[in-house]
Amino acid sequence: MVMRSFQAKLALLFVAVLVLLQTATLIAVHLAGQRTIRKSLGNELRVGSRLFDRVLDGRGRQLSETVRILSSDFAFREAVASNDEPTINSVLTNHRARINADVAMLISLDGTVVSDTLEHRITGKPFPLQELIREAAAGGEPSAFVSFDEHPYQLVVVPVVAPQPIAYVSMGFIIDERVLDDVRRLTGLDVSLWNASARNPRLISTVPPEYRDELYRRASALTPRTSDVDETVQVGGEDYQALLHPLRTEDRSRIYTLLQRSIAEAARPYHTLELQIFALSTAALIVALIAAILFARGVSRPLQQLAADAYRIEQGEYKGAIAVRQRDEIGRLATAFDRMRTGIAQREEQIVHQATHDTLTGLPNRTLFISRLASAIKWHPQAQSVAMIMMDLDRFKEINDTLGHHFGDLLLIEIGRRLSQTLPESEIVARLGGDEFAVMFFADDVDGAIAVAERISGALKLPFVLAGVSIDIDASMGIALYPRHAQDPENLLKRADVAMYDAKKNHAAFAVYETGRDEHSLRRLSILSDLRHSIERGELELHYQPKIDMRSERVVHAEALVRWRHPVHGFLRPDEFIPLAEQSGNIGVITKWVLGRAIRDCGEWNANGHDLAIAVNLSALDLFDSELPVYIGGLLAEANLAPSKLVLEITESAVMKDPAYALRILNDLKSRGVMLSIDDYGTGYSSLAHLRRLPVDELKIDKSFVLSLGNGAKDDLVIVRSTIELGHNIGLKVIAEGVEDARAWTIIRDLGCDMAQGYFVSKPLPAPEFAAWVESSRWGGAGGGA
Amino acid sequence: MRHRLLTLILFLALPAIANAATIVATVRDSRGIGVPDAVVYAVPERTASPSRKTAIMDQRNRMFVPHVLPIQTGTSVRFPNSDDIRHQVYSFSPAKPFQLPLYKGTPANPVVFDQAGVVTLGCNIHDRMSAYIVIVDTPHFEKSGADGRVTLNVPSGKYTVRVWYPSMRSEPAPIPMTAGASDRNEVVFTVR
Repeated sequence: MVMRSFQAKLALLFVAVLVLLQTATLIAVHLAGQRTIRKSLGNELRVGSRLFDRVLDGRGRQLSETVRILSSDFAFREAVASNDEPTINSVLTNHRARINADVAMLISLDGTVVSDTLEHRITGKPFPLQELIREAAAGGEPSAFVSFDEHPYQLVVVPVVAPQPIAYVSMGFIIDERVLDDVRRLTGLDVSLWNASARNPRLISTVPPEYRDELYRRASALTPRTSDVDETVQVGGEDYQALLHPLRTEDRSRIYTLLQRSIAEAARPYHTLELQIFALSTAALIVALIAAILFARGVSRPLQQLAADAYRIEQGEYKGAIAVRQRDEIGRLATAFDRMRTGIAQREEQIVHQATHDTLTGLPNRTLFISRLASAIKWHPQAQSVAMIMMDLDRFKEINDTLGHHFGDLLLIEIGRRLSQTLPESEIVARLGGDEFAVMFFADDVDGAIAVAERISGALKLPFVLAGVSIDIDASMGIALYPRHAQDPENLLKRADVAMYDAKKNHAAFAVYETGRDEHSLRRLSILSDLRHSIERGELELHYQPKIDMRSERVVHAEALVRWRHPVHGFLRPDEFIPLAEQSGNIGVITKWVLGRAIRDCGEWNANGHDLAIAVNLSALDLFDSELPVYIGGLLAEANLAPSKLVLEITESAVMKDPAYALRILNDLKSRGVMLSIDDYGTGYSSLAHLRRLPVDELKIDKSFVLSLGNGAKDDLVIVRSTIELGHNIGLKVIAEGVEDARAWTIIRDLGCDMAQGYFVSKPLPAPEFAAWVESSRWGGAGGGA
Repeated sequence: MRHRLLTLILFLALPAIANAATIVATVRDSRGIGVPDAVVYAVPERTASPSRKTAIMDQRNRMFVPHVLPIQTGTSVRFPNSDDIRHQVYSFSPAKPFQLPLYKGTPANPVVFDQAGVVTLGCNIHDRMSAYIVIVDTPHFEKSGADGRVTLNVPSGKYTVRVWYPSMRSEPAPIPMTAGASDRNEVVFTVR
């Protein structure tokens, strides 16, 4: 539409300018033509007028000659000489008729009219035109215009010689249409003549009789003039250029001639010229119009093409170069456009890639994975299932914390690479976020999916050597299949997630989703929302597990372990809800409740004579609470318990979150006399050198090492032994938890471990039972209750 | 010519011979130049008897010769045609209208001019031929030569001296005179 109007505009401009110019030209030509016509008409009329005079002149001479010949007729002369009046009259009449003269007069030498043929005779009177006689006597051939009897005459006077002049004969010829016709033939002009002196002037003319009255009226309006007049007169509705030309008359009669020429007729050649110019102009206009349209089209077609291409690009279609190949500005525009197109295409590709891919590993992201999953579900082969494996790394957070984010990133990249290499046939390897990966493929059945999971597991078993550090990682994988486990991508993902958590919980490499397990995640949600109210509802309680001094084989410490008696889900272990409390920010409240209850219970035990210390686990988040040392101080004072009777157990990773801050808190606690213990030692990556800087008093070897001691695991034995030795070397007491049987007990005792904790001694017991156990057990308090 | 005065001087001299007188006339124009072919004639008081003489008006080389022929009343004039072409001589003059039909040689009969006056001769087929026959009632006449002078020998007596010349419009006033014996009378006509 815009293009069309541009085309039209251009054409319109062309044509308007041309029309303007040509109109101006036509007007100029027309005006010049009009002027030229007037001028040339004026000239023509003046020339015509002179020609008319010449014609009359010649006619006069011719008449003179005729009359001269007549007058030399012997009989005529004889008759004239006879002096006999009747004879003279008759010879005059006769000879007048002979030469078709209209009037004849005989004049004596003294100028008296001797005889005449006029209607009103003037015989006996002097000839009215004496000058003519004198001229004739002098040998001239006088002719003059006079009026007789109302008619305009051309009159000649000729001497009658015998052989000397004996008289003069004058003959007159009425000027009639014949004369005017002659002039008209010669000049092409209409000629009119009238005697204004006459009582009833009559117009003789070459114009058609029907116009004569009108012409006479117009012409006589011009007549009191005596010289030539150039005028425009209108006759019969037509304009004429006319020249009024008074005849020089001898008798002062007013005889006028009027020469005229039709202006329209004179303009005819100009009309032809104008018509030709008009035709040429029109032709030029058409040519210009076509040229303008072609030109405009030449401009607008590539523009239209560009517009179409732009629309195409707008629609997101970037394929196909812009098809405008010109060397002009439009061509340059098109080139720029094309560059823009490829630029946009590249950027969009990049954006789409970024939107659908993980920037770190370059793997598809969750969005793309879900969409691929959707299309796989839609198009999957009938006989096959769409399988997906969700995987996350165990303790990736700790790796990140201890080895740095850069290392974590490198690890993720390498894992992505290994997954891709391991599963060349797989449809998709995606990183869903964090340390979470997903793999999608077609599998015949669950076993096929498990085979893939095993391959992945195998691939991850090899140590990762990155930035000079060699590291082993464990991953948990959840397997879910469509259509067996879910009907849509979201649910499939969720089920795989649930399966993955199962694997994690079971410390297995992978788990296949079991129908109904999905409620687990619902349970988590419910736990999360109930956690807030658990304390006020009194649903939390503490169990205590004794820690035995290996040398005295007496209970010295009790570790407080929190339990949640959930109204719906029943008895919950801390593994299940502590991470949720950490995530939801409720851990501080729980820690304070645990501390409060544990210190109070311990206060009571000590008051009852049992020399027991109480051990409480602190969450990593607790180490950010700067109020904690003061709070603990308050609790100890309240329970009248020495600070050395409180052991705070902290995991390595908790300290590593913000070591500087944690150190400050720990130092504060230490300065108050509180005992500090490193919990779950061996699962993190902190070195003993690092531990040395911490103000801790004991190390607690992670139960995973201790549990396997009973099975005779050599590796773990080495770890446990070296840990105990190293701990002792830097002045720490070492405690082993997870001691389940006598064999483990014996081993760690032989290794020189300071304390032991585990089912071999006692399971965690509620406060009253624990108190009873202390009373009754063989590990019972040293100085206690006995 | 028109504006020229012609003076005719008459010398009145004593006649050398008794009863004989001489009239010497000069015809001149206003510039004093003599007028040729002027006919000066003296008309006596007493009418003279007509002449029986014959004069010749020849036609030679398409011209009348002489151009002016003065004669006394009653004189016969012959019109011989010396050319080898024909002429048709005519006169419409009141003094003697006549015409001689086309002829060669000399017509049989001469034309008698018995009335005083001037006869203008023409040839009907040769318009340019023209001559004058001046017929006077006196035997005393003479035609001037190139100098315009005329000498008349007349018997003494009373005369009226008159003049005619070809281009004359109106006759100058006649000069009356008495010519004594042996008189030499000088007359001057100054003509216009």
